[in-house]
Amino acid sequence: MGMLLILAWRNLWRNSRRTLITVSSVLFAFMLATALISFARGFQQQMIETMVRQETGYLQIQDAQYFDQPSLDHTLEYGDEVRQALEAHQDEIEYTVPRIQGFSLAAKGMSTRPALVTGILPQREDKLRKLSANMVEGELFSDRDESAVIGEGLAGLLGLSVGDTLILIGQGYQAMTATGKFRIGGIISFAIPERNNTAVYLPLERAQWYFVAENRLTNLIIMPKDTEHIGPLANDLQSMLDREWYSVAVWEELMPDVMGIIQMQDTVYTGIAWVFYIIVGFGIFGTVLTMFYERMQEFGILLSVGMKRRLLSAVGMLETIMIGIMGIVAGALVSLPIVYLFQRFPIRFSGEMANYVLQFGVEPIFPFILDAQIFLTQAVSIFSITLFIGVITTIKIMRINIQEAVRNE
Amino acid sequence: MQTVIKTEGLSKTYTNTAVPVHALKDISLEFKEGEFTAIVGPSGSGKTTFLNVIGGLDKPTKGKVVIDDVDIATMKESQLFDFRLRHIGFVFQAYNLIPVLTAIENVSFIMLLQKKPKKEMEARAREMLEQVGLSDKLHERPSRLSGGQQQRVAVARALASKPDFVLADEPTANLDTKSAFNLLDIMARLNKEENITLIFSTHDQRVIDRARRVITLVDGAVDKDEHIDKD
Ligand SMILES: Nc1ncnc2c1ncn2[C@@H]1O[C@H](COP(=O)(O)OP(=O)(O)OP(=O)(O)O)[C@@H](O)[C@H]1O
Ligand SMILES: [Mg+2]
Repeated sequence: MGMLLILAWRNLWRNSRRTLITVSSVLFAFMLATALISFARGFQQQMIETMVRQETGYLQIQDAQYFDQPSLDHTLEYGDEVRQALEAHQDEIEYTVPRIQGFSLAAKGMSTRPALVTGILPQREDKLRKLSANMVEGELFSDRDESAVIGEGLAGLLGLSVGDTLILIGQGYQAMTATGKFRIGGIISFAIPERNNTAVYLPLERAQWYFVAENRLTNLIIMPKDTEHIGPLANDLQSMLDREWYSVAVWEELMPDVMGIIQMQDTVYTGIAWVFYIIVGFGIFGTVLTMFYERMQEFGILLSVGMKRRLLSAVGMLETIMIGIMGIVAGALVSLPIVYLFQRFPIRFSGEMANYVLQFGVEPIFPFILDAQIFLTQAVSIFSITLFIGVITTIKIMRINIQEAVRNE
Repeated sequence: MQTVIKTEGLSKTYTNTAVPVHALKDISLEFKEGEFTAIVGPSGSGKTTFLNVIGGLDKPTKGKVVIDDVDIATMKESQLFDFRLRHIGFVFQAYNLIPVLTAIENVSFIMLLQKKPKKEMEARAREMLEQVGLSDKLHERPSRLSGGQQQRVAVARALASKPDFVLADEPTANLDTKSAFNLLDIMARLNKEENITLIFSTHDQRVIDRARRVITLVDGAVDKDEHIDKD
């Protein structure tokens, strides 16, 4: 084995320039792929974080049927059972954000508009998503207030401003009629038009009163202390809550659309990475094939004097693998500081791009994700390609016709 | 004296050509232990084919090659690898050596494949390189050696593992006269000292008289088989 390693290693340096070029190509492919995927993961994380903060939270308790049929009829009772479950896990929970939400009509005089009415505890909500930062006029009500905050778009559509009265008409819990009059205390602005044109916020208790759903919630968002490992907490909570009535869901389950997009992105990025690899694979293959034909006569002589095909194949295999490993190691050494740098000093979009992502409420700052798993995946992919090329070399060596090889000039 | 190689009615016909080529025709020969034989003849007379067939590198179309009481013509490829490794030394016309190994590593190579103990291997390799007059080039790679020196390393390698016999196909073809004589002299001396049967092919008149037996092939058949008596 020692001899085979020495032979393979020295053979690589017979044409050091060619070997170095091949190794560099592996290096670049590795680097591009890791950079691309580290960026993509960062982008996705930013997206998820935004969604989690603005919409779903990391964890939610809902009525068991709410996910499939989100209506006020499927609200959960915020009673002893839920409180006990939360208290039992208070060490793991940072805070909770209760919400009750349903569609209604917002009216002023004869004009009406659809509105998404959400009852919130403003201070909690602020912790989660800095709602008060979006206020353009007036103020966000306090927990005990009676006034409403409406989206800037909706205000414009209905011609409402601070101090006016908003009339809401809709259906409450168990088909009861919901009606209410609310003084407008503030106007809030959102980047996403749909939200800007429909948002109506009420203090939680006022909203529960309006929906005739005292003590009931559509979503109870839970902010865990450890946001990385929420699975166990979700399971624990669920085990304390009757499955027939309560369902504990994690963010992946709460935003299937986003997860779908992420999965699609992953497929695309992995595909691009493989395009790099296959190009590089052809490069390696070319080098290895040239080495093979250049040394035909030498192979013939080695086989003549009694070197077994198996041993000679092993040398060919080792040479190929060594190119791969050198490229991977060099690629990792170069990528590591680059990815680290972009993690510390994230890419900032500006101009059009920034506006585009801002529209979705996503901050246009994208730190790379430094994850050993990403490096490992690239390494394994490149290594399997080299292995495959190595196998082809091996097969070629197994098939050499000795006399022809010796005569080869 | 013991017979090392015996061929019986050896024929080789190449059929992969437009017209079948009868490269060897009914050759029956015996080579005794310690013989030093030159195979001569014009180009295309079948010298290389003959050496390939008795070296187990090529299969005869007909006939036997008996070595050690075994007909190697009946052996499978995998058996032949082992057989060549254990019993036969080879010297080719050129590119004998592994370019990335030094002279001493090249000479040790066959013994390494035979899994000889390291110490014994090194001592023997040094001894053989000394025998061919290259004790000052032990650690040079082939590219730093002249053609003649490279062939001497090849001869040292072929003999180092003490094979039953050594086959050399035109070992002097790429050498100048002086180097050719020098190589043949070394081969003749080692043939005597190590008592290893040596068969080489050549169409080089200059070196033929170094042999003690000269077999002349014409059109694949034995034309003459002369024993030259020396002292
Ligand atoms: N692999 C092969 N396929 C077809 N014909 C072959 C093959 N090898 C040799 N021959 C033919 O067999 C005959 C003998 O060839 P061989 O190489 O043994 O001659 P040689 O005496 O070694 O010639 P030279 O002195 O030129 O080396 C030639 O006619 C040659 O063309
Ligand atoms: Mg020949």
